[in-house]
Amino acid sequence: MIALAAVWLFLRHDAFLYQNPVGEITRVKQHTLHHITDEHNNSDIVINQTLTIKLLNRHGNVTVVNQYVASQAMSHQYRIGDQLLLEKIGQHMHILSLKRDMVVGTLIALLVALLLLYNKWRATSWLLLSMLINIGLFAGALILNVHVKNANVLLIFSVLATLFAAASLVLVLGKTLQMAVTLLTTLLTTAMTIAILLISLRLTGNLGVHFETMSYVTQVPATLFMAQTVIGVLGAVMDEAADIVAMLFGVRRERVSVRFIDYWHSGMTVDRDIMGTLINVLFMIFIAETLPMVFLMLRNGNNWAYILDQTMNLGILQTIISGIGIVLAVPVTSALVGWIMSRKVMTP
Amino acid sequence: MNTIGLLVIILFILMVFVGGGQGIKAFLGLIINFFVIFILIILINWQFNPYVVTAIMGTIILAVAIYLGADNADVADTAFKTSVIVVAILMLLSIVIQYFGQFQGFANENSEELEGLSLTVGLSFSHIAMIVMVISILGAVSEAAMAIVADLNEVVQRTTDMTSQSLYAHTRIIGGQILGTAINTLFFGVLGANLPLLIWFVRLKYSLAMFVNAKLLMVEVVTMVLGMLGILLSIWLASWFVVRRYVRQQKVGINNERDI
Repeated sequence: MIALAAVWLFLRHDAFLYQNPVGEITRVKQHTLHHITDEHNNSDIVINQTLTIKLLNRHGNVTVVNQYVASQAMSHQYRIGDQLLLEKIGQHMHILSLKRDMVVGTLIALLVALLLLYNKWRATSWLLLSMLINIGLFAGALILNVHVKNANVLLIFSVLATLFAAASLVLVLGKTLQMAVTLLTTLLTTAMTIAILLISLRLTGNLGVHFETMSYVTQVPATLFMAQTVIGVLGAVMDEAADIVAMLFGVRRERVSVRFIDYWHSGMTVDRDIMGTLINVLFMIFIAETLPMVFLMLRNGNNWAYILDQTMNLGILQTIISGIGIVLAVPVTSALVGWIMSRKVMTP
Repeated sequence: MNTIGLLVIILFILMVFVGGGQGIKAFLGLIINFFVIFILIILINWQFNPYVVTAIMGTIILAVAIYLGADNADVADTAFKTSVIVVAILMLLSIVIQYFGQFQGFANENSEELEGLSLTVGLSFSHIAMIVMVISILGAVSEAAMAIVADLNEVVQRTTDMTSQSLYAHTRIIGGQILGTAINTLFFGVLGANLPLLIWFVRLKYSLAMFVNAKLLMVEVVTMVLGMLGILLSIWLASWFVVRRYVRQQKVGINNERDI
């Protein structure tokens, strides 16, 4: 708790780390409310607020006028105590962004604190280390992708994905047989899934897939989508493979079995339970992301078919692909573990 | 033929092949949840109270995901109980976070997509931000709860004479491993989903200050961290439920033997 408070306090007073002016709102004056109605009969309220901002890493106060709409689709209502990131253009200060690092930082600190409470110091530090390494690898791949002309995006991110899987599994599970088996099944299943995706796209000639609706695109969307899918599928499949392998090793700790069929059956039953929910995980993430846009388009008088096509198309495609990967992982993992275990017991 | 249609058929065939009747149920669950989210969108669009709608629809989604996913009623009950409690806690947390962090709506980076759309739509986007956070954690929470309960049940069934200490040790080992990999899944899922956005940020040379404060990126980080909290809490709570039930069953068993 004390550590949490410390993190919060620090991030609230870290303005000196910023090069941009940072300020805290000390006074807010609301004025000129007016009601507006757009062409689709949605009524909303436009409000102007004059903010008095005390600069934290410069001297003095500034006042900024902020206009926002009550629904806050793109504008913000600021309150006393909010900290803002500012930018000076000519003579005028203008708001760049709300300073969000303290909320995010405190939340991350809360997660780390709870992880430590649950898992002991050692395991948690490995887990966090693996995430940091992955972020580092990812940053490296991003920079490589941006700076190398005509880089093969899919190749860069496939190699990255393999490194990801290896790094996180080694750090979470240690250099054990369990880890090797999990890694092997993960890579095998991911490769099979991407192959299915590519073949399907080829067979149907990309019919009904709208790669052009992807947001924030700075390069060829189709390959970017593949790269995204490789990383997404890999995560889910790794989770699942690790679940089954962990369970099968648990069974083995209690009772050493020789028969392939024992492992096969256990693996298949556990995963029947997990399969559906695991697809749900990705489904929820992909669908939730599209919600703001869906609401906006719905309110702008678009029909469902158009909205589905424009905003949810790629999300749904990605869910289905990941689903295929998740289901494929079941037989692949069960078979591989069964095969390795039955041989391992027989050899010595 | 439509690519998505073809892939749906492949998915269905695979699910039936691997899961049998269970696979059909899980497939059905996905479709039902798709419609539940539709209903949620429509209700919010009609301006029903967003908190009530999210709580009810969230519970339905969890129930569908868990009861149509699991074939063992014990596993499903425990997982459902855990998930509902955890999601309730996280929903409160997300309301607090949304209040302080203002993660709603769109940013300048979206201008291209927003062209021609009216932004004064009279629908509170801060409520929508809360809904997005809650919906995206539902899957992760229910999955973690199911995974740990299913694994522990499997261990309990396979080994008949186990002390509660031994079971407790199992919850720690299995729990730690599921935690690690589940957190990684979420991490990869979010990284993958935000690949274009991150490339955009790097290409346009955003300053570090914008990286850690920009709404579009931070909302993803917050969703991810909330999901991780959800995974952790549900593993914790679920293993506690399982151990408690096992201990109680053992006591009953011993009492029965004495009666005989």
